Amino acid sequence: MSYFFQIVVSGIVVGSIYALAALGLVLVYKSSRVANFAHGQIIAAGAFITFFLTVRVGVPIFLAFLASMIITFFLAMSVERIFLRRLIGEPIISVIMVTIGLASIIDGLIYLTPFGSENFSFPAFLPEDSLSLGGVSISWTQLVGLMITTLLIGAFSWFFKKSTVGISMRAVSDDQFGAMSVGISVPRVFGLAWATAGLSAAAAGCIIGNITGLNFETLHAFGIVVFPVVILGGLDSILGAVVAGIIMGLIQQFAGGYLDGNFGLHGTGNVMPYIILLIILLFKPHGLFGIHEIERV
Amino acid sequence: MSVNTWLATGNFNTTYRQEQKTFVTSLDRSIFTLFLLTLFAWPVFFPISQKYMLVVDNILVAIVAVMGLNLLLGFAGLISIGHAAFIGIGAYTVASFSRTLGDSHVIVTHFWPVLILLAGFMGALFGAIVGLPALRLKHLYLAIATLSFQMIFQWVINFMSFFNQGQTIYVGRVFWFTGEIGRNQHYMFWYYIILTLVVLMGFGVRNLLKTRYGRSLVAVRDNDRAADAMGMNPGLTKVYAFALAGFFAGVAGALHAYLYRGIGFESFTLHQSVGYLAMAIVGGLGTLNGSFWGPVAIKYLDIQMEHLAEFAGHYMVQASNLSTALKPLSFGLVIVLFLMFEPRGIANWWRIAKSYTKLWPFRY
Amino acid sequence: MKSKKALLFNTLLVFAVVFAFTLPAQAGGKAYKMGLSLAITGPTSDAGNPYAKGAEDWFKYVNDTKMLGEDTIDCTIKDDQYENDTTKRFFEQFVDDGIVLFLSYATGANLALKRDFEEIQIPVVPASYHEGLIVDAKYTFMPVATYSENIVGLAEYVVENHKDGGVPKVAFFIHPSAFGRGPLEDTQKAVAAGLKMEIVEVVEHGKDLDNSAMLQRLISKGVQYVLCHSVQSPVATMLTDAQRLGLAAKTFGEKGKLTFLGAHYTGGNDLIALAGAATEGFFWACSYNLTSENNEGAKKQLDLAKKYGRDDKAANSHNYGAGILAAQIATEAVKMAKAAKLEVNRENLYKMLNDMKFDSFVAAGPVTLSKTERIGVDVLNIYVAEGGKFKKIKSVESEFIKKVRAGR
Repeated sequence: MSYFFQIVVSGIVVGSIYALAALGLVLVYKSSRVANFAHGQIIAAGAFITFFLTVRVGVPIFLAFLASMIITFFLAMSVERIFLRRLIGEPIISVIMVTIGLASIIDGLIYLTPFGSENFSFPAFLPEDSLSLGGVSISWTQLVGLMITTLLIGAFSWFFKKSTVGISMRAVSDDQFGAMSVGISVPRVFGLAWATAGLSAAAAGCIIGNITGLNFETLHAFGIVVFPVVILGGLDSILGAVVAGIIMGLIQQFAGGYLDGNFGLHGTGNVMPYIILLIILLFKPHGLFGIHEIERV
Repeated sequence: MSVNTWLATGNFNTTYRQEQKTFVTSLDRSIFTLFLLTLFAWPVFFPISQKYMLVVDNILVAIVAVMGLNLLLGFAGLISIGHAAFIGIGAYTVASFSRTLGDSHVIVTHFWPVLILLAGFMGALFGAIVGLPALRLKHLYLAIATLSFQMIFQWVINFMSFFNQGQTIYVGRVFWFTGEIGRNQHYMFWYYIILTLVVLMGFGVRNLLKTRYGRSLVAVRDNDRAADAMGMNPGLTKVYAFALAGFFAGVAGALHAYLYRGIGFESFTLHQSVGYLAMAIVGGLGTLNGSFWGPVAIKYLDIQMEHLAEFAGHYMVQASNLSTALKPLSFGLVIVLFLMFEPRGIANWWRIAKSYTKLWPFRY
Repeated sequence: MKSKKALLFNTLLVFAVVFAFTLPAQAGGKAYKMGLSLAITGPTSDAGNPYAKGAEDWFKYVNDTKMLGEDTIDCTIKDDQYENDTTKRFFEQFVDDGIVLFLSYATGANLALKRDFEEIQIPVVPASYHEGLIVDAKYTFMPVATYSENIVGLAEYVVENHKDGGVPKVAFFIHPSAFGRGPLEDTQKAVAAGLKMEIVEVVEHGKDLDNSAMLQRLISKGVQYVLCHSVQSPVATMLTDAQRLGLAAKTFGEKGKLTFLGAHYTGGNDLIALAGAATEGFFWACSYNLTSENNEGAKKQLDLAKKYGRDDKAANSHNYGAGILAAQIATEAVKMAKAAKLEVNRENLYKMLNDMKFDSFVAAGPVTLSKTERIGVDVLNIYVAEGGKFKKIKSVESEFIKKVRAGR
């Protein structure tokens, strides 16, 4: 039975990390209707910046963590300013492709540094044993990850619900023309959305990097891995990302825990999210919490 | 249109038949015929190395694939991030024959045109199946559904021992009326075969777009509800667009299999899908000639970047990272720059060049 | 907008002009052409990058020290980004250029090109040690023991050193691809041929962020040893999880704990870089001599790296050594052909490779190639991670792999 609970707990923890990684995608989509295929690369960049600051410069890790969040904040903002602002109003495929092109450019830039093809790991700064409760265990890294995720998601939810900027972002996502007519600067909102997405990507990068070690291929793959999560949750819902993240985490752990090795199946944890995603999309085309847009001719 | 084109003040047609014509003037037709003849004749007069023949063949295969993608993306407006998987379906159709019958079985080596066609139909079948979510899904959700198909395809190939778990499945050397096609003629032979197919399929696409089936694609792209109101069936049209793209992809896959004489799953990954998307976009979405420009441009860029990287590597030995980072960097830059400054792709340059020469020495 | 378009066009034009230049080859003596195509960027570049450096440096060293007299080796190194189609294109180009020997890289590309190697009859030295490459292949010469040999060798080591009596219970942790599954199948054959161990479970990993459940399941099934065949990153995640759960064995075969063992691509400095202290107690089979051994060979490897200005990370990588070994095998073949007063061409190099024996400072044992034996270094060093370094425990040669191969 404790095996079952372990799977549940692992699923929730892993799922919340997915949620954090997915958050950036949702933030960008929510305001500007852009799916960011370069998100994985920003995640990797955030992790590498933190590593660079702690190990090469010697900044304490928590400060480095904050600093990298701030750096990616401005980095993502400038990416939006340089590449995406010109594409406002272009067809969706153009925007998707720009982010794919962007991913390739960031790939190239990271290959310019040693980080592209070498492996690193963060210095240990948390206790290396794990918290154990009745046979169910959770690592400190995961716990900190869980806390940061909760904190960030809580902060963002509050930000969107209460703050003026957040409300203006919501207004833009609702109706761009309407927002403009009441004096909201739409481009500024887009920039801000990208910036906050960059910030959350850096946080996700640090947590994932702490678990898997710093390998560029592994890190940027998470940009694609979390796509089923955002789609399942509905592209524009923060709550959806959290719920879907945890569902996906659970699916993965359960598939790995119960399907693999039985029925001659292996590695189902990789493919199950996509299968479930397809099935759910057939019944709920806008995900679990996505807004169903009414189209007019 | 008036009889003398030189006196015409514009393009205007007086009958529907005129509008349906592929070539507006006989001059157009002769230029095109000459161009085709050149395409078929040049390898005889200017033989090039095996490597470059492979590059040319590879571009032609990509053209077949991108024509399909362009129909889907450019004409029907449906996003597919799983095109490489459809190409894979075609390739693995050939592979499964090779696997069950042996790679030099007569069906594989002699009846290859049948297999190529069959691969196309398999691609179409899977295209239609994957297109089913398009009945309900739109935009990004649809894109991700195709992404899912890509992932599931990769997993299945990698998992099933029938497909050799994604490792190479060999395909034997094919036969022509003159006997077995040996190593030295291989790339030349396939150049002619693929070129013929490209021409045929190009005409196919060109003509399709003049029929109701082609026009319904465009109508659904522009507004599927309006198309519905006009009596088209948008759902069916979308599924049929996917099937059509799948057919082209399947044919391309079979050609890839025969050209490389083997099938391994690495040629059909997400990375390749992105590459085909880039080709379609750089070439120009929603145009037929864009499907030709895109693969040429991207593959050319690829090779030139390699040369530049080597060139740089010779002078800056320590900067090997720099030279190798060039490829992804340039690939990304080209996509982004095109989308930012020339979203209509190279096809637009072609259009401008054409209208410029047409009116020369006068300007608009 | 117009000026921007012009700018874009001009930039492209300038690029096109720049590319039009190609580099003339250098002269002096005879230059024997070889080609190396590998992944310097893209997937597996963490291995490919130092490998390329190793091969490049060794060929430079050969030319600089006039090891072949006035003659030189001109080896073109190209980055295929782990794409088979690109590798094929490079190979065709190399063949057009008239290379006498091909240094290849990835498993997939090698398998895809196997037919071409046989047709053109060109000797090949791959960087992938996949068993399938030498099956029905006359022209592929494996530099070191195959992955299967690694894993079966480790399995034998487990059987020999298992103390608690009874049959050791083993789980496999493998890459979800043919690369991961091949050695598993060979081990299963070895078990069928009489190797006394029980394979309890096979885990194919994904992009897992948490392996707690999997590790607990293995423990509850009584597994004591985990044989890994994958790349470093997933193994690192698993090792960290095992360590924090307190499931990692401190000594070999500790009861109720898991002892982790892995083949060539799972270990090395990259694993230590990724998993840190959790690597302690990881057993690793590899046919290369590590610089951490601090012996004569290690010194030579470091000197070579220093001579050509490589950083510490590359210099200490076993993949740097792997690149050197592949280049050494190529050089040795040329040297032998010259000594025998034969023309240096494909056929003669093939003949030389069919009967070769020399010692390399990067390898764990002598390189021996013959008509019947296509694997250079048969010796495996079993290393264990201790104090942030891999330390050699013993050298072994796998016995059961011979039975497996004979049954093929």
